[in-house]
Amino acid sequence: MSRRIAIVEDEPAIRENYADVLRKHGYEVAAYSSRPDAIAAFRTRLPDLAVVDIGLRDDIDGGFELCRELRAMSASVPIIFLSARDSDFDVVAGLRLGADDYLTKDVSLPQLLARIAALFRRSDLASSPPASEEIIERGSLSLDLKRLTASWAGRRVDLTLTEFWMVHALARYPGHVKDRDGLMREAEIVVDDSTITSHIKRIRKKFLALDQKFDCIETVYGMGYRWNAP
Amino acid sequence: MSGHPEPVRGSSPAAAPSERPHSRRAHIALGIRAQLLLVLTVFLAIPWLGYEYVKELERFLRDAQERTLAGTAQAVATALHDRGPLFEPRAAGLDTLPAERASDKQTVAGTAVDAAASPEIAQILHGLSRTTARIWVVDREQHVLARAGSLRRPPASAAANDEDSPVGRISAWIDREALQPLYGRVLQQPTEEFSDERSGRAVAAGKDVEGALAGILTIDRRPTADGKAVIVSAAHPIWVGDEVKGAVIVEETTNAVLAERNRAFGRLFNIVLAALLVGSVALTLYASWLSTRIRRLRDEAEAAIDARGRVRGRLSGSAARDEIGDLARSFGAALARLTQYASYQEAMAGRLSHELRTPIAVVRSSVDNLALHPLPDDVRVYIARAQEGLARLGNIITRMTEATRLEESLAEAERERFDLARVIVGCVDGYRAAYPGRVFELRVPSGEAQFYGAPELIAQMLDKLCENAVEFAASDTPIVVALQEDESRFRIAVSNRGPALPETMQERLFDSMVSVRERRGDSAPHLGLGLYIVRLIAEFHGGRAIAANRQDGEGVTVSVTLPRVRAER
Repeated sequence: MSRRIAIVEDEPAIRENYADVLRKHGYEVAAYSSRPDAIAAFRTRLPDLAVVDIGLRDDIDGGFELCRELRAMSASVPIIFLSARDSDFDVVAGLRLGADDYLTKDVSLPQLLARIAALFRRSDLASSPPASEEIIERGSLSLDLKRLTASWAGRRVDLTLTEFWMVHALARYPGHVKDRDGLMREAEIVVDDSTITSHIKRIRKKFLALDQKFDCIETVYGMGYRWNAP
Repeated sequence: MSGHPEPVRGSSPAAAPSERPHSRRAHIALGIRAQLLLVLTVFLAIPWLGYEYVKELERFLRDAQERTLAGTAQAVATALHDRGPLFEPRAAGLDTLPAERASDKQTVAGTAVDAAASPEIAQILHGLSRTTARIWVVDREQHVLARAGSLRRPPASAAANDEDSPVGRISAWIDREALQPLYGRVLQQPTEEFSDERSGRAVAAGKDVEGALAGILTIDRRPTADGKAVIVSAAHPIWVGDEVKGAVIVEETTNAVLAERNRAFGRLFNIVLAALLVGSVALTLYASWLSTRIRRLRDEAEAAIDARGRVRGRLSGSAARDEIGDLARSFGAALARLTQYASYQEAMAGRLSHELRTPIAVVRSSVDNLALHPLPDDVRVYIARAQEGLARLGNIITRMTEATRLEESLAEAERERFDLARVIVGCVDGYRAAYPGRVFELRVPSGEAQFYGAPELIAQMLDKLCENAVEFAASDTPIVVALQEDESRFRIAVSNRGPALPETMQERLFDSMVSVRERRGDSAPHLGLGLYIVRLIAEFHGGRAIAANRQDGEGVTVSVTLPRVRAER
């Protein structure tokens, strides 16, 4: 059975282009151009994954609203934000609402497809027991590469897909410096330096929330970042 | 790759190079108070008018005095009219009259009748004499027949001053000590100490006598020999039948008139001076207040706009409903509009990038979809080129949003203590790897350089500085990165050899989207945002960024000064 992906996007060209490429890859696609339409449909039947544009027609933060309502209906449906806005506030706000990832609209389709696939894999495996051969452990850090989850000292760290891939890139070779380009490649995004900095800052904050003494991610100025095993 | 896009000429708010608003001028600067005092000199006309008025008064009083004297002379002459026997020539024997005795001066009633040549005339005069007039009767030969009265006035009775109230006492004191001596300099004071050369004569001579004896009522005015008083006299002929047998001369000093004039002058001027004083003080206070308000407005205006023409603060509105209040309010409104415009300008990059994302997404998703279809190889080339163009567009957008994103993150950036030298050294090492064709010279003092700031921002700032330097450095020339420190601050300078900066643009370089120099090579497009980011980060740390041509004229140095904060020690 093919998965249902819901796309909520008010720009028709983009909406149709995404729908086309997703259908081509075997997904079932339901496309909506406004929040009311989407919510009405979700009440009838939940999608397996939602790609949501934040600015919907006259509704500046319509996407956020939609995310909140969808989350209220289901705690596990993967939600990806797609937006022309990429300010830190928006990203943080979006992720706090429970979205699984935040991409800018100029992301390339292959990248989008890769993420959607990864998210499906993650949610599929969320309910199954962890397979030991795909787990990387570095000190208190434990990365499950199949389920794409991370945990610190046994407690689950809620990382987005992008963040997970970055932590993986760093922790795979502790002590080695990973430069920004390398991090971008691993996370399959193309952004400017300060976005990387924001991501790293967010990752640190999430770990710090669990362990106040966390300082495994070291900034090496001029070079990049490094994972230091404690 | 052909076709370099044009460098983006920004339209940042017109910022004139800094100029003190109240620059020194060549001519004398008069404040409002000085101007007001100049204008007040117009009111000096008032005392002059008062003086003229008093002189008019004096003239009037003189005329009145002369008329009175003439009247008296006529009355006396009439009393002696047609009294022929009185004017018969006398027996010789009496040549002179005794001089006026000292006792005459003190007689209150003043009707001293001394030994007269003609007792009968003296008797008549006795009834007609007054206190301050002296009456002579002379015969045809100008011999004095009788005399009565005295020129000198008795001392004034005790002035009935009402000195009971304190105000009265104070004003009387001021009057006595300050004003009267002042007026005394200007006005002639009447005095009773004058020499009176006519008094003892037995023979009266003078224009008045001669005129009267010629049959005409004559009025004469002459000063005393010592000049201390003026004596007015009226002489009237005495007719006996058709013949002039003698003359009556009535004399008086002008002292009464003078005294009256002086008193009028004194009162008038006391009032005028008081009014001028009060007026001047009040107007000066008002002018001071006005000039203070205007000066406060000027200070606020200066504080609101910094040296580069950026609006820094707001003008507090004025509640006053006059012109100055209007000025303050208009200025505040103008500043607010300027601020709005400036922030609109600065948000331009962010807005543009936001707007551009959607169309770029449309193109990209379309091209990507295209790429998924089976296509002949020659068609794929176009897809490849389109994707390349899109990548560059994306790059531009990324750079544009960098500045906006920085502005946001500055609001939350945290400062910590770190070693500035280590960060700089680390960054330069990175640049050596990132720009393999370039030589980086590092001049950093040994030892730690403790700084309290945000290290990742400093690194970002240095990235921009070096990016800028690399782009404009002449090939095969080194880029020098130097850190200098002194008691109060650090200075990071990045210097490269290459084209120089035009003089006028040095301030504007740090504005958003201002690009001055020609693009060289096909490196990333020069949007004019790099230095803007440098400036934002410098200002976040309380410092500033300066771009200047090198001393040796060979290139440009961009330096950032960062003040040291006590938290570092």
